[in-house]
Amino acid sequence: MNKKTPYILIMPIVLLGVLFIYGVANGIIQSFGYIPAFNLRDLSLDYYIKVIKSPTFLDSLKVTLHISLISSILAAVLGTILTAALVYTGHTEGKIIQVIKLAILIPHTIVALFSISILSQNGLLARLLYKLGIISTQGDFPLLLYTKNNIGIILGYLWKEVPFVAYFSLSLMASINKTLGEAAENLGASRLKSFIHITLPLSMPAIAKAFLIILTFSFGAYDLPFLLGATVPKALPVQAHVEYIHPDLRHRPYAMAMNGLILLITWLMAGIYYLISNRKKLKGGSHERA
Amino acid sequence: MKEPSSNKLLKLFLYITVFAILAPMVIITLWAFTNQWSWPSLLPTSYSLRAIKEIFAPYGNVFPILLSSIFLSLTVALLSAIIAIMAARAVVFYDFFGKDLIDFISMAPNLVPSTVFAMGIHVAFIKMSLANTPLGVIIVNLIYTLPYTINIMKNLTESIGKDLEQQAYVLGASPWKAFLHISFPLLLPGIIASITMAYIISFSQYFVTLLIGGGKVMTFSMIMVPFIAKGDRTLGSAYALVFVLSTLIVFGLINLILKKFQKRKEKYNWN
Repeated sequence: MNKKTPYILIMPIVLLGVLFIYGVANGIIQSFGYIPAFNLRDLSLDYYIKVIKSPTFLDSLKVTLHISLISSILAAVLGTILTAALVYTGHTEGKIIQVIKLAILIPHTIVALFSISILSQNGLLARLLYKLGIISTQGDFPLLLYTKNNIGIILGYLWKEVPFVAYFSLSLMASINKTLGEAAENLGASRLKSFIHITLPLSMPAIAKAFLIILTFSFGAYDLPFLLGATVPKALPVQAHVEYIHPDLRHRPYAMAMNGLILLITWLMAGIYYLISNRKKLKGGSHERA
Repeated sequence: MKEPSSNKLLKLFLYITVFAILAPMVIITLWAFTNQWSWPSLLPTSYSLRAIKEIFAPYGNVFPILLSSIFLSLTVALLSAIIAIMAARAVVFYDFFGKDLIDFISMAPNLVPSTVFAMGIHVAFIKMSLANTPLGVIIVNLIYTLPYTINIMKNLTESIGKDLEQQAYVLGASPWKAFLHISFPLLLPGIIASITMAYIISFSQYFVTLLIGGGKVMTFSMIMVPFIAKGDRTLGSAYALVFVLSTLIVFGLINLILKKFQKRKEKYNWN
């Protein structure tokens, strides 16, 4: 067909892509202290150095890694079990899948409301424990919201991400189980053995990709830690926004340096993922040839 | 070779998951209609329509904001689906300069947290007079829906191929007609999936809309979140309930309209 056609087709995505790259680059340039609009023109690494040395940043980083690592690892494990449960009990379509899709559709802001109504000291869980005689006052129920343990945030992420991991890896695991898993069982392997040695390893690409998505998302997300987090330390994106709206505009590069570091760590996570998945592929390839 | 004990455990896990997903929905539904629910009752002590009435009170302005918010997100969703159809066709059917770059760019927003991008583009948007405008919010929302919609449309476009369309083309249909009558109906399931996905991403957006909209562009999330931030369970839950129900209604309508469209097309094709 026409030679021009593909270029016409990609015009809108190119336009938005340019705008996207411009936005990211603009933020990075500002992080080196170049914001002509605020009369800042000297390029330097000072802002990064000061940010990395500040205890506020280090505490924020720790808290953010804590939240995103724990929630993502638990979500990957529980999500894999959920996927297996859906596949092995034959619920790969139907009502239960609709319920799982519902969890994907609910925004994090509403999930925060769930956490508040269930996990606060006068929430439903505390009431239930009181009725069971396990606690005698509201104060006996541990603080799970607005505190440093961040359990309310982690449980909120789990509520959204366990269904997400299952939804993401369901079709791959279902098709592998149908072909190879059941073949192994017919040849005499126990169901658990065929799952651990055949179905699970072959489903790993989808599970690993889902893990990367939720890990990077929860590391850079604003809503849940903003609504349920402690006053100090704040999660990194929330802290960056605090610096961003600082009344002294010359403070702006600090916010951007924090964003630059968020970006760097996100890309590091993705880089590790690609290294591991590529090495696996190479290994798998040579194995097949041998 | 059946092992009913392991199956029972998996079933139990499944039921616990379904319960864990549905229980909070039931709880906020109860809260939305609560008048009083004091410690340590497990159920509201008295019910009322106060919160729902307050949301839809004429002085509250919530209903117009809900409608304009739905309209904004539908605009994002439609644009996202159209751009995704175009980009998918280009990448799947053609070889051209910079193809890999397009592939990369369409996935890149997944690797940049939306907070980082929004703060980065904000100053530029102020200069371009896009900050504090619906158009600015639409553009930023749009960018974060594209990785999902392009992925959906690419997979579908690949599986449909272009043989059928080419036949129509050879038989004398114009390229546009060939696309409209052959590929478009086949792409409809993906279009519905793209539109619903993009809609929910845009409709859920809080931080990005707050920053780029600057409080001037009011979406439903913008008026709901302050109540959640305050920990107001009754009003927060009422807003959340309206959020979920309005989304389900919009999804129902999208399905209905596009399915009808498909039926009409089929009829037309048979004549």
